[in-house]
Amino acid sequence: MSTDETTAGHIQELRRGTVVLACLVRLRQPDYGYALLESLNALGILVDANTLYPLLRRLEKQGLLESEWNTEEARPRKFYRTSPTGDSLAAALTADWHRIDDALARLTGDER
Amino acid sequence: MTTLTDRYIWAATRSVRESQRGDLERELRERIGDESDALVETGLTPAEAERDALTGLGDPVALAARYVDRPLQLIGPRYYLAWWRLLKLLMAVVLPFAALGITIGQAVSGAPIGGIVGAVIGTTISVAVHLAFWTTLVFAILERTPAPADRRGFDAPWTIDMLPHVPEPTKTARRSELIGSLVFLVLFAAVIVWQQFGIRWVPALESIPVLDPALWSFWLPYFLGLIVLEILFAIAVYAWGWTWALVAANLALNVAFTVPALWLFLTGQLLSDAVLDAMRWPWGEAGPIVATIIVAVVIAAGVWDVVDGAIKTARRQQRSRVTAAA
Repeated sequence: MSTDETTAGHIQELRRGTVVLACLVRLRQPDYGYALLESLNALGILVDANTLYPLLRRLEKQGLLESEWNTEEARPRKFYRTSPTGDSLAAALTADWHRIDDALARLTGDER
Repeated sequence: MTTLTDRYIWAATRSVRESQRGDLERELRERIGDESDALVETGLTPAEAERDALTGLGDPVALAARYVDRPLQLIGPRYYLAWWRLLKLLMAVVLPFAALGITIGQAVSGAPIGGIVGAVIGTTISVAVHLAFWTTLVFAILERTPAPADRRGFDAPWTIDMLPHVPEPTKTARRSELIGSLVFLVLFAAVIVWQQFGIRWVPALESIPVLDPALWSFWLPYFLGLIVLEILFAIAVYAWGWTWALVAANLALNVAFTVPALWLFLTGQLLSDAVLDAMRWPWGEAGPIVATIIVAVVIAAGVWDVVDGAIKTARRQQRSRVTAAA
């Protein structure tokens, strides 16, 4: 495995949990897959469509998201919204993210 | 007319369960439509955009598997170790028996040596393939069997009580093993030589060779040679402790001993005619039963010897791993 691949792999690992948090927070406003993807990428949260769509399904299966089909327009779209369970998970994840950030900041000290 | 999208969705949805198809199809149509639209906005024609969007989705079956959270590996980490341990155990237990069984069967039916070797190799390979295939099939099905939350199939959680015992095969313990082996082997060699002069304390067998004297042309020296090798082997085990190479050597020695011995016994070449006469062999209906018991005991002893060595090796490795970890 080349250094680039190793780096990419670790960056992906680091981002994995943050994508879940971003989705849970962002979907407090209901939205559909592609719009969510666009808005996350616009915010600088880089996520691949092949990761995001299956992730939304999984979060729904775990009861963290709720979904509803919007058939008012020509193309039916599945709108996801964060469930109350998802909301409390988002709060827990946010708290943990801050804790990790503080800890890593202390660890890296003046390097930042 | 079917579009590329229709074909893609058909390919993706037919690989999932009927009940999931409707949902998956609608979701894929939404995604493909949205991604195509975005590509059209960058200046592609609708046809090019559709093609690019579908290419971006990748293999439809892999995509569907990710969507419905189905494993893309035959056996996942949850079952891998159980599968691997069981497979090794089955191979170690079944293959030697299969090889020995077929050897004996062929020898009894009077097949030539070449035929026996061919049959043993062929049958052992096919038994190994069957073992691997069926074991793997069962685990692949388990991997895909939905079970109540948090538990799958026979899932047995690991507990501290399952830790193997660390044996104490220090050199002292190995020394007594060595002495036992050497005494036995030397006595065995002595018996092979002495039997030539009869069994003194059995009047009927006094001064009659027990084993067929014709065997001195090849087989008895062969067995004496094997005993020498066994002695060297016992010393090697004492010096280095059990290793997998020694287990293999032990297996080879056991096969080299047991197979010809049984073959000679079953083809009536082992015992001398004088002894058979003195014993009034064959003993009517009891003859085949006695012969079967002897064969079974000899095979069991050989198999046990090999398995015992393998167990000692496995324990030793586990122990050295524990020591290394500490």
